[in-house]
Amino acid sequence: MTTARPDFDPELKAGLAVVGGVFPPTITPDLIAFMRRSYASPPIEDTLRGRPIARHEETIAGHGGDPITVSVLRPTAASGPRPGVLFVHSGGLMFGDRFSGADLVLDWVDRLGAVLVAVEYRLAPEFPDPYPREDVYAACEWAATHAERLGIRRDRFLVAGASSGGGLAAGLALAARDRGGPRLCGQVLDYPMLDDRGTTPSTGQFDGVGVWDRVSNETGWTALLGAARGGPDVSPYAAPARATDLGRLPPAFIDVGAAEIFRDEAIAYADGIWAAGGDAELHVWSGGFHAFDIFAPHTVLARGMIGTRDAWVEKVLAD
Amino acid sequence: MQELLGRISALDPEASLSLRVIACFDELVIGNVNTRALLSAAASLSGCTAGYHQDHPRRSMRVTPRGDVRPEEVLVPADAGSASEGLSVWLERDGAPHVNDAIILERLALAVRIRHGRGRRDLDNRRELGLLLDASVPVDDRRTAAARLGLAAGCRHRVVAAPLFAAWTDHPAGPQDVVPTPFGPIHAVVVPHDHPPVVASPAGTGVAGPVEQLHRSFRTALVALRLCLPPELPSVQADDYGGLVALLADTPADADLPDVDVLDTVMTHSWGGPTLDAVVRAGSVRQAARLAGVHHSTMQTRLDVIADVLGFDPFDGLGRSRVGMAYLVWRLRHSRVLDLPAPVRGNPMG
Repeated sequence: MTTARPDFDPELKAGLAVVGGVFPPTITPDLIAFMRRSYASPPIEDTLRGRPIARHEETIAGHGGDPITVSVLRPTAASGPRPGVLFVHSGGLMFGDRFSGADLVLDWVDRLGAVLVAVEYRLAPEFPDPYPREDVYAACEWAATHAERLGIRRDRFLVAGASSGGGLAAGLALAARDRGGPRLCGQVLDYPMLDDRGTTPSTGQFDGVGVWDRVSNETGWTALLGAARGGPDVSPYAAPARATDLGRLPPAFIDVGAAEIFRDEAIAYADGIWAAGGDAELHVWSGGFHAFDIFAPHTVLARGMIGTRDAWVEKVLAD
Repeated sequence: MQELLGRISALDPEASLSLRVIACFDELVIGNVNTRALLSAAASLSGCTAGYHQDHPRRSMRVTPRGDVRPEEVLVPADAGSASEGLSVWLERDGAPHVNDAIILERLALAVRIRHGRGRRDLDNRRELGLLLDASVPVDDRRTAAARLGLAAGCRHRVVAAPLFAAWTDHPAGPQDVVPTPFGPIHAVVVPHDHPPVVASPAGTGVAGPVEQLHRSFRTALVALRLCLPPELPSVQADDYGGLVALLADTPADADLPDVDVLDTVMTHSWGGPTLDAVVRAGSVRQAARLAGVHHSTMQTRLDVIADVLGFDPFDGLGRSRVGMAYLVWRLRHSRVLDLPAPVRGNPMG
């Protein structure tokens, strides 16, 4: 009767006792407004305080030419062209902002000397597919076009995203390949939201427990795709698990928790890249619920995930 | 996590952050994590470095809010709290202590003591309520715990159970603590048996009993809590279910109950829940139709479907008891009340 599933790590369980009520496991459409308040990022000035990072904002043309905001964060000491990162935030396609979870990637700016471009892609359901992914694509093209002015090296530019942002990052890599867009030197896909169909065993295992369950995922995908969710007409740029060709993609770094619904789709995506002869590195963290590095970054498990990811980014990006 | 605590108090200014701190360390103790993990939780909750030192063998550690071990030589601050003989813990706070520092330090000291085999739970006077509500604790120990909590022998009380995120309109005064359960940490409060109904969402109030029977009150309060369906049914009194609530409390989660399993089929219909709810309350098909707000013939058609799926008539003899019990167990098995956040007062969602 009860579903068998891997247990959460004890430190993460303790974190859940604190998280309760801020990020419910089951997010239904009537909770979107609540999540927009509870998941809003803290003031960026606070996050940047004491770090040698300079920030400026730009308004660029998003999907359809509409204005969207990007933030450019660069090491204050940097001179000359630096490696670049396009950062795509988390939030189930429906909430969060360009700085959600940003503290985890700021180390790449002040430690590795990278320039970070954080894009305020528009959110579903007000802006359904293709708005979010085409806003991300537009930000990528903008960064490549303005690389000189932004002090970004075109030959060392990667995309990184978490959860819904991970799915959008994977979609961007596919679209850039197919459209002859900017060349990416890597794609960092943290516990990515890749598959709108919700049919994997891990999706069934974490129904109503932890962070981001089966119903939350349905809510997110329905916000993005409406009635098309799960049907035959979903673009692989929106739901990269739909892609039939995973060849000729930039090297991928994929991490995921063993105790979350995205476990199986993350493993399948890495497997698909390998089958196509590509470069993928996959880490599955035992006892990890969704986005545990954001909710409980102080835990041994999160230190491991963050350190492993940072080491890969350093390998690909650092001078 | 300090930032999360800040968000919680911004979302619900009346949220009890100290209970969350206690629940956090409860989980760490149950999970038997090491000293580094305990320090890192304390540092993360407080937002400043947490340290520990023991004399024999000499060993120290300081951990930052990000979970990094600080390599510098450790100097034990003069005001470090003593976890027990030769073992001290501290928070490296610059300036005035924050509101939760004391409770974080208290829980850290206790957890470190237990991890090092020096602590016994009965040294922890906050845990009297946990002892009182645990049927496996000898009854004399439970009586002692009740006395320490100020609950007079011979007086009848009830236990109110709520998740940590419950919204309380009126917080009852009385012994309270967070108690680990199979459903996660639960906030338990003891009130006199004739206390007016508690106004909180969600919350369950258990049956009344003397101090020796308060473990039963807690278990029935948990059943009542899991039967809540906010916002329509924000709180439930175990008394409303009479003797049934004790049966429900004693039914193991994995009990083999075919009548409950087949209800899954009925519940796939959008009318399944409301119809069964009306059936178990009604004395006749006509009354059930009225309660569900449907025509008599519609109700009869649905009842035919239900009888067909169940294999018995829900209005006939034992069928009434079978369907009633199965419906309640089904609701407990599918209860989501402990998953959902409380509505935030003054800031309606939407």
